[in-house]
Amino acid sequence: MTVVQEQERLQASLLGEEPVREGLVLGNPSVRDVTARIASIVESKITLKYLATLAVTGGMAAWGLFALYYTFTVGIGAWGLNNPVGWGWDITNFVFWIGIGHAGTLISAILFLFHQKWRTAINRSAEAMTIFAVICALTMVLSHTGRPWLFYWLLPYPNQMQMWVNFRSPLAWDVFAVNTYFTVSALFWFVGLIPDLATLRNYVKSDIAKKVYGVLSLGWTGSTRHWHHYEIGYMILAGISTPLVLSVHSVVSFDFTVGILPGWHTTIFPPYFVAGAIFSGFAMVMTLLIITREVLDLKQFITLKHFDNMNKIILATGMMVGYAYAMEMFIAWYSGSDWERWVFINRAMGDYAWAYWTMVVCNVVSPQVYWFKKARRSIPLMFVISIFVNIGMWFERFTIISTTLHHDFLPASWGYYSPTWVEISILIGTFGIFLSLFLLFAKFVPVIAIAEIKSILPGSQPKHHHTPHS
Amino acid sequence: MSDRSLHASKNTTWKSIDELAQGPMETGEFATGTTSAPVFDSTVSRRGFMALVSASMALTAAACRRPEQKLVPSVKSLENATPGLPVYYTSVYAHRNAAYGAVVKTREGRPIKVKGNELHNVNCGTASSEMQASLLSLYDPDRIRRPRLDTGQTSFDAAAAKIADAMLEAQGAGKKVAIVIDEHCSPTFTQLLTEFTAAVPNAMVVMMPSIVCDNASIANLSILGVDAEIVPNLGKASVILSVDSDFLGTDKLALYHSGRFAARRSPSSANAAMSNLIVAESQYSLTGMNADHRERLHPSQLESFIAVVERELVGGGAIGGDLARGASTETTKAAVNAAVKLKAAQSGEAVVLTGRHLSPRAHAIAYSINNALGCIGAGKTIDSACTLPNSQAKGAGIAQLQREMESGNVHLALFCDVNPEHTSDRAFRAAMAKVPVRASVNLYEDETAMVSQVSIPAAHWLESWGTAVSINGTISVQQPMIAPLCDGVPSLQDTLITIGKKVNAAFLGETATYADYVKSWVNASVLPTVPGVSWTKALQDGVIASAPATASAAGLNLGGGASLVSHTVGTGMMLLTAPSLTMYDGKLANNGWLQELPDPVTKITWDNVALISPGTAVALGLASSKDAKSIAKANEKVVTITTALGAIDLPVIVQPGMADNVIATQLGYGHTAMGKVAEGVGVNTYMLTSAGHTTSYVAVTSVTEKAGERHRIATTQQHHTLSDGHGDRPVAKMMTLGDVAAKNYAVVSENFNKEGMDGKFLKPLSANAEYIYKGHRWGMVIDMSACTGCSSCIIACQSENNIPVVGKEQVLVGREMHWIRLDRYFTGDMDSPGAIVEPMLCQHCENAPCENVCPVAATTHSPEGLNEMTYNRCVGTRYCLNNCPYKVRRFNFLNYTKENEQQPLDLVQNPEVTVRFRGVMEKCTFCVQRLHEAKWHARDNGHARVADGDAVTACQEACPASAIIFGDMNDPKSRVSVAKQSERGFRVLSDINVRPSVTYLAKVVNAPASHVEAGAGHHS
Repeated sequence: MTVVQEQERLQASLLGEEPVREGLVLGNPSVRDVTARIASIVESKITLKYLATLAVTGGMAAWGLFALYYTFTVGIGAWGLNNPVGWGWDITNFVFWIGIGHAGTLISAILFLFHQKWRTAINRSAEAMTIFAVICALTMVLSHTGRPWLFYWLLPYPNQMQMWVNFRSPLAWDVFAVNTYFTVSALFWFVGLIPDLATLRNYVKSDIAKKVYGVLSLGWTGSTRHWHHYEIGYMILAGISTPLVLSVHSVVSFDFTVGILPGWHTTIFPPYFVAGAIFSGFAMVMTLLIITREVLDLKQFITLKHFDNMNKIILATGMMVGYAYAMEMFIAWYSGSDWERWVFINRAMGDYAWAYWTMVVCNVVSPQVYWFKKARRSIPLMFVISIFVNIGMWFERFTIISTTLHHDFLPASWGYYSPTWVEISILIGTFGIFLSLFLLFAKFVPVIAIAEIKSILPGSQPKHHHTPHS
Repeated sequence: MSDRSLHASKNTTWKSIDELAQGPMETGEFATGTTSAPVFDSTVSRRGFMALVSASMALTAAACRRPEQKLVPSVKSLENATPGLPVYYTSVYAHRNAAYGAVVKTREGRPIKVKGNELHNVNCGTASSEMQASLLSLYDPDRIRRPRLDTGQTSFDAAAAKIADAMLEAQGAGKKVAIVIDEHCSPTFTQLLTEFTAAVPNAMVVMMPSIVCDNASIANLSILGVDAEIVPNLGKASVILSVDSDFLGTDKLALYHSGRFAARRSPSSANAAMSNLIVAESQYSLTGMNADHRERLHPSQLESFIAVVERELVGGGAIGGDLARGASTETTKAAVNAAVKLKAAQSGEAVVLTGRHLSPRAHAIAYSINNALGCIGAGKTIDSACTLPNSQAKGAGIAQLQREMESGNVHLALFCDVNPEHTSDRAFRAAMAKVPVRASVNLYEDETAMVSQVSIPAAHWLESWGTAVSINGTISVQQPMIAPLCDGVPSLQDTLITIGKKVNAAFLGETATYADYVKSWVNASVLPTVPGVSWTKALQDGVIASAPATASAAGLNLGGGASLVSHTVGTGMMLLTAPSLTMYDGKLANNGWLQELPDPVTKITWDNVALISPGTAVALGLASSKDAKSIAKANEKVVTITTALGAIDLPVIVQPGMADNVIATQLGYGHTAMGKVAEGVGVNTYMLTSAGHTTSYVAVTSVTEKAGERHRIATTQQHHTLSDGHGDRPVAKMMTLGDVAAKNYAVVSENFNKEGMDGKFLKPLSANAEYIYKGHRWGMVIDMSACTGCSSCIIACQSENNIPVVGKEQVLVGREMHWIRLDRYFTGDMDSPGAIVEPMLCQHCENAPCENVCPVAATTHSPEGLNEMTYNRCVGTRYCLNNCPYKVRRFNFLNYTKENEQQPLDLVQNPEVTVRFRGVMEKCTFCVQRLHEAKWHARDNGHARVADGDAVTACQEACPASAIIFGDMNDPKSRVSVAKQSERGFRVLSDINVRPSVTYLAKVVNAPASHVEAGAGHHS
């Protein structure tokens, strides 16, 4: 059965004509087919189209790096920040990118531990995105300080000044959380890659590539002993990563909750931030996978079922985020604190109301179409909504930061913040870095975990029922 | 060490035959011989080896060092100065013709701070913003450095010779020489000019201040025979009616008035008394902001208002009967109310003040009222012995000069420290152009210097000798603190002496310099009249108490007032060109501190604007309705204002509290020459006043909006704080005198958190035990009832703490750096609001929210309760700024000090305070450098603690209203501890448990016990 036929059949089953349990890999490929299909992406010639795309994203990254250089030479004054508003797009971008990373960790760790087999086709690229997103987040957090050349003062190390970091500061916790996150994610991703790198080592033809993949695969032979250790190691790393899904964004949210400002000082932030992070992360995975799947023709492995499942998560986390928005408003009223009440009224009706309502429409309203299965399986629709969610989640962070800071306690100190070209360029630059890294990843690393996907091929599992055979 | 010998002597045990046979092992597994380092002689020990190696390492390291240089101490040491310790000198600052005693702090010979002289009984140790900011002008890189003749540089001698030749030419041609000077209060300068005119008979000296204030003097001349302005002592007044008089703001003696006024503004339940200030005015002045009762009147009603008051109080003898008949019903009602309040005061305790721009007639009427109120007389509120020096009417002299110039009678005009090209009207400038030789002696190459063939630099007041007499006759010697920064720049007076001697060799005889002249005058004319005061003592004290030059009052002739002119002010749109609250007349317009000082009423920096009322904004079509949002849209629109004298374009700002049909604008802006700071800032509004005529209301013929044009105005407080409904935030609290008397302090304890939390944290919410402050614990009290909003504290802080000027663009973004700001809140409705001024600075919270969030511990708490900022440690995350509920932290977004600084501007920096680099946070330190200095002094004198009053912050020191009290809260007897016990005391945002060290005392309005809007900004 061809992929097209199979999709038609599934479509028919959706309409209730023929009940069929949907497979995770379509076309019933053989083990060899899988290897050939995925490894051929690496082995194929670099096309002009690829180079052109990379040039565009690389150009964006270069422009952003120039904006950062400009910031370093001129000072934070190159940005639009001012005295009431000490953080703007810088921390908005930081929280946004950290959030993006969360889908990868959730997919690779939690879904793994819960034996969600559908994660297999998407975990590799989602994890890669995690790492690239954290790189972008680190770029933001390192460049946002007034004296970035002293960034290492944020690390606790013995020094001649006999100064430690201030362990009471959420920013110090942030440093630990983000560094741990980056280290563990990178390690987890790399460990997962080892068998596939070995496959590539065997597959590629050029000597250089053979050497590179050979070194990176750390002498993997695929022996049972290797597999045994590998599985244990992978499981342990999944275990270590799991709490990170919850802890990293909770710690990031402490940056705000530990502050005393109405609009920041709230206990709902940690769960709300985690839900939001998964929400935005899935949306970003969605955006990139839709493109990757089309361009690399991976429809066989990344099926509508995957998207369906992811859309369900987007719907669920979107509702959590919506609940958090409603609860914030309720608590502001219920607290009896006029400071709180005023800040939330200002959020919805003040100078930044446009940002607030953009956020609500994108994050709460737009995912509601996913109640319908047809919507969950419509590629154009989900592409648009995934972009909406990305925009909405960026505005969520912007709203939290800017509306809180621009009007706080004393009306005499109020101000307004809008970004300069430098901040806009830096955001574009982080997207450039992110996309460039993803493009390189898609070309030189197996975008789908070859070894893992083989385990969910039809018939590969003894307990696998209702495998559609062609 | 020699292993061989060791073995030889100790070889008593052996392990093998070989060993025994060979003695010490030469070969084998453990060859002992190799233990000696093979490179060195065997006598080199391990220790010696190490020593050699380390020595050679040191040698290598030494070879890498930079060439050694020696610091060479100055051969000529500074007189009476220890490097590193400040030296204070007394001097006197002349704000035009008002003298204020000054003490100047110098470090290594350079002045770094101007403060008030406590012995001077006009300013009593306090200082105005202009007086303090004049320090910056000393180091202004835009000052003239060399004399100029036509277009080329020249020597002093050549420039003076050119002027002297012109004088001789004039003598030959029978023409006149005009010496145009500013108003001043120097008796020696007066005498010098007298001698000059004696030596150069064709010289005419004309005093031409940029803002002429003749009307009071004209009135006093006609009714008292005294051609001078009488200065009231408001410390003796319990009811003050101010008719368009801005005695707390733009008045030349505002510093004097502020202190005396504020002394009667802080009631307590034990002493529930305060003065009552009634203000009737057209604009919204700083005085109006301090009013207990305020009437906004159209300018056409001002003189009628005062006439009705007179009718009510004087009755039959009133001299303003005809004016009273012109009063509208509302004006009459308001005037009758004011009269009732004046009458209610004890005899001699009520006083009426009149704006300088009101007619001589109005001043005479005020005198008549004051006479009826019994406040005139020796030792009373109005004492004719207390007059402003050189305040005689000057209009006639200026008009005569203009006529002489027009008729071609003037061959040379020498403009001394005046800028008529900027400050006069078209006709006067045209007359100036007819003078063949024009010369200017000034600090700056200003507009007048640009139209002069000769331009000579003048020394700054801190560089030159002089004298000044104060309103009550105190004489002070102005002594130079520093040699002129540009070699050989003489003072204005020295230049005149040089010129005079060239014209007439006999001029001044042996006296060569103004310094000698001053010294001999003081020795000959002043010291003999004051027993026991030597020249040295006079310089040390800075004051010589001399008997005031009693004006010979010719007896009261109130009838003379009836015939004086009154201004006919139309009922249409009127324009008021008032002095700027920050720049006064613009003489120091090239001063960044003053340009960036927010106007206390409008909060505008770096611009002058057209202020109009909300009603006028609607009437002019700039706003569609009087709704706050619509009104806000009128701001920054540009309008063309046309009067009979010309037209100017000005941006509009809607100022609540203004009278309708009035446009108020500020003088001192719009310089086209002077320096980089002043040029292009604002619009010159002098051209709409006429030279020599007292500024008054001018009829506006048309106001048209320049469609589509907007001019961005940099304010330090956003306009829209008016339009947003931000609720009744009890952050700046206000109560009535009635409440104080009734001990009803409910408003003081009011908090914003009404439900859920009680807003009172009786116990600290902390897991740790509370910190016990054992030594000092610094704290502050700010009495908002005393504070007038004059803004002296801002400049005092800027000067003390090296706070950079950031420029208009940065203020527009919201990055001004002032460590202390004056938050201004309006209360009541938009048409006639009340106002509260709340000085806001770092509150040094005990439970500081900034401290725990800093990731690098750059801001920490000191054992003395200070919230300290370690600049070196700061990496600039700005988290502390975000988390500061008072938003008093200031971030160096750019390298402000470095980027804006050029020689010799860097000399103004206070060496006790770090100059901050970009990327670090800064904020008020409670002048920690002064606290340390006070502690060192206490220790040197053998005291365990700093005595109360020995540690003074810069803002406290300058405050003319004594509204700031600083000290040790651990000393129960200290002034600050006592003030903290006040029932009016509250801490801003006490409900968020940050526990600030600054206590505010609620502002009190002299009104009966009633509900006053608590907190600020309750607007329609």
